[in-house]
Amino acid sequence: MQDQFQGRKYIIQGIFVLSTILLLLKCIQLQLIDTSLREQASANVIQKINKYPSRGLVYDRNNKLLVNNKAIYDLMVTYDQVKDIDTIKFCKLLGITKETYIKKLNPNFSSVRYSKSKPFVFLKKISSEMYARFQESLYEFPGFYVELRNVRGYMYPNGAHVLGYIGEVNKKKLEKEPYYKRGDYIGVSGIELSYEKYLRGVRGVEYVLRDNLGRIVGSYEKGRRDTASVSGKDLISSLDIDLQVFGEKLLQNKRGGIVAIEPSSGEILAMVSMPSYNPNLLTIGRSRGDAYAELAGDTLKPLFNRAIGAQYPPGSIFKPVMALIGMQEKVLSPDRGIGCRGGYIYKTLRIGCHGHPMATSVSKAIQHSCNAYFCQVFRDVVDKNGFSRASVGLDTLVGHLHDFGLGVRLESDVQNELPGNVPTSAYYNKLYRKGAWTSPFIVSLGIGQGELLITPLQMANISAIIANRGYYYPPHLAKSFKGDTTKIPLALRTRHYTRIDTSHFRYVVDGMEDVVLAGTARVAQIDGIDICGKTGTAENPHGEDHSVFIAFAPKNNPKIAIAVFVENGGYGARYGGPIASLMVEKYLNGKISDRRKYLEERMVNADLNKSYRRK
Amino acid sequence: MALMARRNDSTTRDIDWLTVSIYIGLVLTGWLMIYAVGYRPGETELFDMGTRHGSQMVWILVSLGVGFVIMLFDGKMFQTFGYPIYIVALLLLLYVLIAGRVVAGSKSWFDLGFFRFQPSEVAKFATCLALASFLGSYNVNLQNFKSRAIALTIIFAPMIFILLQGDAGSALVFTSLLLVLYREGMPGILYVFGIIIFILSVLALMFDSSFPILLGIGLVSGGVLINSFRSNRPKLLYLIYGFALIFLYNYFPEYQIIFLGVSGAVFLVLFLMKLRDKRRQLALLVGFVFLVSSAYTFVVNYAFYQFLKPHQQDRLLVWLRPDKVDPLGALYNVTWSKRAIGSGGLTGKGFLDGNITKLNYVPEQATDFIFCAVGEEQGFIGAFAVIMLFLLLLLRILFIAERQRSKFTRIYAYGVASILFFHLLVNVGMTMGLLPVIGIPLPFISYGGSSLIAFTVLVAILLRLDSNRMLVFR
Repeated sequence: MQDQFQGRKYIIQGIFVLSTILLLLKCIQLQLIDTSLREQASANVIQKINKYPSRGLVYDRNNKLLVNNKAIYDLMVTYDQVKDIDTIKFCKLLGITKETYIKKLNPNFSSVRYSKSKPFVFLKKISSEMYARFQESLYEFPGFYVELRNVRGYMYPNGAHVLGYIGEVNKKKLEKEPYYKRGDYIGVSGIELSYEKYLRGVRGVEYVLRDNLGRIVGSYEKGRRDTASVSGKDLISSLDIDLQVFGEKLLQNKRGGIVAIEPSSGEILAMVSMPSYNPNLLTIGRSRGDAYAELAGDTLKPLFNRAIGAQYPPGSIFKPVMALIGMQEKVLSPDRGIGCRGGYIYKTLRIGCHGHPMATSVSKAIQHSCNAYFCQVFRDVVDKNGFSRASVGLDTLVGHLHDFGLGVRLESDVQNELPGNVPTSAYYNKLYRKGAWTSPFIVSLGIGQGELLITPLQMANISAIIANRGYYYPPHLAKSFKGDTTKIPLALRTRHYTRIDTSHFRYVVDGMEDVVLAGTARVAQIDGIDICGKTGTAENPHGEDHSVFIAFAPKNNPKIAIAVFVENGGYGARYGGPIASLMVEKYLNGKISDRRKYLEERMVNADLNKSYRRK
Repeated sequence: MALMARRNDSTTRDIDWLTVSIYIGLVLTGWLMIYAVGYRPGETELFDMGTRHGSQMVWILVSLGVGFVIMLFDGKMFQTFGYPIYIVALLLLLYVLIAGRVVAGSKSWFDLGFFRFQPSEVAKFATCLALASFLGSYNVNLQNFKSRAIALTIIFAPMIFILLQGDAGSALVFTSLLLVLYREGMPGILYVFGIIIFILSVLALMFDSSFPILLGIGLVSGGVLINSFRSNRPKLLYLIYGFALIFLYNYFPEYQIIFLGVSGAVFLVLFLMKLRDKRRQLALLVGFVFLVSSAYTFVVNYAFYQFLKPHQQDRLLVWLRPDKVDPLGALYNVTWSKRAIGSGGLTGKGFLDGNITKLNYVPEQATDFIFCAVGEEQGFIGAFAVIMLFLLLLLRILFIAERQRSKFTRIYAYGVASILFFHLLVNVGMTMGLLPVIGIPLPFISYGGSSLIAFTVLVAILLRLDSNRMLVFR
């Protein structure tokens, strides 16, 4: 039979071929052109889990643990995987309301930070206790998983300013350093900030595969792309925590700072700033925001580290420096005697002095802290090139002061260190007029008053320089890394010399010894310890003078150099001297002798807060 | 005469080994994909009968056995028993409605304990045989109405039973046999109508308002009408019509795709009219079609929401209006299926490394969505290879069909090709979001003994008939 429709086979073949082409075109579109599918797929299936390294611990110089790690947890969620959740149970376990749940689960998805197919933080900072309860039911909540974070725990309620705290990395840092990812914890202040790079370790990454219910079913590509996290290095700080605790006790209810340095290394043994706070308040947790707000609002400024940030006129503790510069500039011989008529008098200018025996030498002048003597020395240095060329002399003096670490930053590892103020000729030219000022104008600088401002850290450093007879290491808080050969930065291990001959120091040191033995600070005597000190009373136009004291001990081969500054503490010998000597005794002897217990009690109980609040 | 003991050399030689090779290739590909989908490192044994790849291996062996047995039959038998087999299939379809087992919402399974099977699978080759028997007889001519009605009844009877079982996917497979009727002389215009109705239905569902569809239909009709009255002032009317089209094109930018389609359709209609010069009749027809199809679009929308079950609505909406569907609900399968295929890229993630398919993101992974595994693990190259292998098989079957001197065998071959084609197009199309998700397997590749054996039987009978092609004149 004739097949009249045979031609139709071509149409049917055509349909088959065209349909196949259609399928292949769709394959091409999905597999070769549309890359978004690939991204969506891997965003859901492959999950990147950050492995946060444990942050390095911090020990004191005697291997006592200061800072350790506590676990808290961030609850992460992937919106697309959230299905069939018992929200009542969920909210109850986490202690949140249903409104919070809805709000947290629906952030602004139009923002680039959030995607429905990528995990984001649902709830931060869940405590270990809450996590323990929640974790048992975690499998009931598809789409949710938990990331372990290490936060800090502080073993002592002391040393807050020194140790610092960690917080979430800010936007600026994120832009500057690509290592950091949003939500990372980073050192914000203190040692945590200075040694961030050592302490933080290296974050690791694990890629896992999740099944359709959001459960982790294994590693991606057998873990070939994973990187292990590397724990941070444990830092042995230079701090002597017992001394630190003791210093904070002595300075309690007072405003001021104590800095103790080991002169032979520049290591800071104690750095007290009062008022202070318990560092555990600022550890990362749900209550930290409130705690921070309260501390920041306190009129006594407990967050402020006075040891490096408060700049005071040093008062008489400046005199040993002045003596050394005078001798080096050959305007002062060690046995020079200068008369004191109850003060320094120049024309109508009069700078008062207290009654004391005749200052017949540099040592005696320091012992009795004669104002007239050092005003004269100051003028001799400044006017060395002639009365009218005071600027040359002043800048010579300033050069020496810079060598002493004054008016410049010490480049220590303490964050936010301020340089203080050492007025230069340029400063006065600007303030008055070029040639309009002469040495008598600024003579109060010679006794540590006037525009001169220095920080307690710089004061302690002066003490260390004298103890070392002419050099210092930048004071620092790091000693070494535990179980690791990494050394602390070279800059901190580099000696800085002053241009003062070592030979000049003995006169100053002798004078400072006599200050304690028979001078202005006899209260600072310690049985069996040869302590050298110098009182200072910084004039304060706003109220009671500030009490200042620097000291080092023993006289030969000193182990500790210290500066104490007590705001509105009156004479240097009233608070500064006793506190400094108690600190020295504690550090060198390990305890306070019974004979001096009364002194310790008096210092501990002294309460100056009323005078601060009044203002 | 049932069993033909006489297995001579010519039977073996006359088997179309190319088809057999493609068959083996597809089955093995399927087995590897099923193995890959179920593969869990360290847990999966190659020959573990508790696993899907294990039982699929059994089904493959069973299928080969069934195929071999079919080769032992006399080819003539299938022609002789075409109707009885068809009747038995219909009875099975009826019986399963009463005593069947409900699986995944449709009552279409017999549970024989060791084996579950769907009578709709039997109905596929049974219907092909019956259709071939009917169309192959000498007094049948699809130009006359009675023959058409009987042929359509043969196709639609099993379809209706299967629809009643709630298995719309398997039922739709039978529409593919309309291609066979076309080959055997069913008037082409009916298919044009069918396609128009289909397109209208799709359009009606694609747009919320009927306006653009009515506009489109109106413009096509208008163009055709103008052309049919071209005796007077034709050029002016063309001009006005052209301007109207340009104006509308710019005024409704959101419907530009429709205007482009319309322009194409007008040209097509005009071209067809050149072929058949019956303008006035056609003009009337076009006007009539305009009215009917306008009404039809309203009916479609109404019927869609009134008569379809929610899950059926969802399936169509996923296809046509994904924006209207819950992304974690009905859209989920297709979304993940597309992601799995798309993530394969050019070369794929490698055998056993398809993480989306392995991690259960795509439901029905080993059965209806097995193509995802091909796309993900073997990439475009693999997908291309599988699709081309299918095309090769289809064209080979058409070639076999056309070389027959027996009309019966030719029609049966067209039936086989049509059914395989429909499965390929719809299954692969649905995994890529090209077509609605109707749950039908990919022949030879999808997991499942029932469908594998059924497709094997379908092809094996064809091969047996084909090997007899020289005997017809004897």
